[in-house]
Amino acid sequence: MRVYSASDEESVRARDLLKDWAGEGFLTAAQYQQMEPETVCDLRRTNIFLRIVLFLFTLLIVVAAVALFFVVVFSRPAEQTTGVFLLIFAPASYAAAELAVSQARLYRFGIEEALAACSVGLLCAGLQAVTRPDGTDFLIPSAGAILSLWVWHRFGLAYALPSAMIFAVWLTADWTSSQTAQHVIVAAFYAAGLITVAAIRPRHRFTYLNDHYSIAEALLWLGIYLAINLKLSSQHLLVEWWGGFRPADEFSRPFYWATWVLIWCLPPIVLVRGVRLKDRFVIAAGVVAAFLTLVTNKPYLGWPRHTWDPMLLGALLISVVLFIRRWLAAGPDEIRHGFTARRLSGKDKRWMSAGTAAFGLVSPNTITPSPQTGTPDVHFEGGHSGGGGASSDF
Amino acid sequence: MTLLTRLEHWKERGVISPEQHTLLAGLSRGEPFSVFLELNSLLYVGILAFVAGLGWTVSTWSQQLGDVLVLAVLSTMLAACFWYCFSRVPAWSPGETPSPSLVLDYVLYLGSLIWSVELAYIETRFHLLSGQWDFYLLGTAGLFFFLAYRFDNRFVLSFALSSLAGWFGLTISHWPSHQDETYRQYAILYSLIVGGAGALLQRRGLKPHFFGTYLNIAANVLFWALLSGVFNHEGYWVWFLALLTACGASLAWGLARRQFSFVAYAAVYGYVGVSAILLRNLNDGTAILSYFVVTGIAMLVFLVQIARRFGREA
Repeated sequence: MRVYSASDEESVRARDLLKDWAGEGFLTAAQYQQMEPETVCDLRRTNIFLRIVLFLFTLLIVVAAVALFFVVVFSRPAEQTTGVFLLIFAPASYAAAELAVSQARLYRFGIEEALAACSVGLLCAGLQAVTRPDGTDFLIPSAGAILSLWVWHRFGLAYALPSAMIFAVWLTADWTSSQTAQHVIVAAFYAAGLITVAAIRPRHRFTYLNDHYSIAEALLWLGIYLAINLKLSSQHLLVEWWGGFRPADEFSRPFYWATWVLIWCLPPIVLVRGVRLKDRFVIAAGVVAAFLTLVTNKPYLGWPRHTWDPMLLGALLISVVLFIRRWLAAGPDEIRHGFTARRLSGKDKRWMSAGTAAFGLVSPNTITPSPQTGTPDVHFEGGHSGGGGASSDF
Repeated sequence: MTLLTRLEHWKERGVISPEQHTLLAGLSRGEPFSVFLELNSLLYVGILAFVAGLGWTVSTWSQQLGDVLVLAVLSTMLAACFWYCFSRVPAWSPGETPSPSLVLDYVLYLGSLIWSVELAYIETRFHLLSGQWDFYLLGTAGLFFFLAYRFDNRFVLSFALSSLAGWFGLTISHWPSHQDETYRQYAILYSLIVGGAGALLQRRGLKPHFFGTYLNIAANVLFWALLSGVFNHEGYWVWFLALLTACGASLAWGLARRQFSFVAYAAVYGYVGVSAILLRNLNDGTAILSYFVVTGIAMLVFLVQIARRFGREA
């Protein structure tokens, strides 16, 4: 069912890990030279920068080619005609993605990914044009979700799953106008997906598929959390957050308070599961959910926000991190219960380097107050640049 | 064949020792499991949230709290941060120096952000430099450069570079006319200074691993500046030629050093610039779309060739 063979994917994984281990000094250069040829496979890969650029150019070509077809062949095509041709282009784009893999052996190369993504877009656009007058709008998100899931499974593209999850939200919006029902149905969809993934995962615990299912599980946990946190999906989000204003009740009181209880229950459950499985992505999902619970608790309760709330949150996070770090460092060989705060992979260092450079450029701008050049009686007020920050003049 | 099976084979053939096998098999199973990245990310978010709250509180309650209290608190925190850092920093070395602890980097980061908040407060309340905010930015950039080199900290180096960019921007914002042209020239000057300084420091062996940060920032600022000139109504040919030259240099550098971000910059900025020139007076939809199809395929073929020849591995 998957477009790449298991042996090829295992070779790719082994190759990456060997490179990482050699970089960290766990293998000598001579050992690496001896082992590396045994992980060779015929898949064509590239680095992340070329992958992104290739994705963008492929997207440009497909969009321009489809548009050119309509401009050249039809002067003013009817909507139905446009839809029919888009529905022809969708499988063509998908077939091109399959060919790119089977013939050119592309693997995370940008081209096959863009073609697969375009097939989803063209299918939805085609259905939109064909079915609009019939009131069968549910077809579009259904088809989009199914094809996205298929692309996720077939090509192993992690970002196809969030696409399917978004289509699921769209689908429920079409089924019912009840806000409560929409939240429940979306959460139920994601829960069904989560149960399926959790059932499949143990079989692939130490294989190349572990990361694939790990990301899927993390996304589904996060999806469930977002579906039940009414303050994150509220249409009056900013008004509620900054004004402390509770809008007219969109939800029944029992449902509202049930979701409040759930947003406190879910993060520990996710975190415990992530820690037990030693799953980086599930742990991250749990941490994000916990963070969002702390941030949205006051709007939920209708309490006013204070300017020092972020300080308290920051102090809490810093304290928790320092405590965990110290606790882990105090263990034998800096390991406790199989966890360590030491860096064991070169990937972590690369992520940190890229993150520090990128966030270092933006963070002073976003948090320091802006300079005032007005009259002397102007009060010190919050802003978006200044201090160590750059202006956006360039 | 799974990785664990491969490791077993390599052990049996004597390629790796039994100890290495135990270590690598454990690592592939997540034993031990490193939470280094998670702790670092949380610490970063925690400090950012803390300083954001601090800035917000100070700006909202400065009247009620009073200048003395605000400045005393900020100064105490600042002094504590810098005392902590300077009391624990190892002897300076021009090469890459690993940080003695995870905490030191983040305390320095916290101190740098608090410095920015305090400086903004002082100028806004007391107008010591009568609105000459750019001098604060220049001084701040100087301080951050010193701290970045003393503590070997990329975070603070990024602050320094963004403060310097802010100084350039604010300096020319005082000038009333020809803003676009002036901004462009200063952006180019900034990128040349940053790139040149980075190259010089690297040649001198002063924290040569910082060079990548200098070069990436300089390249992006330069490309944006040149591209904005290409979109001018008049006199765009000079900027176009300069853009092509920069793209060529970026491509050559990226391929020679295997730094594919520079290949990506050359491809994207170059394509946008060339398209802007070629499509400038074109209004025919068919011609425009044909252009994108043909040139898109040409770019794809070119990039695939580069990827096959140079950029196989991630």
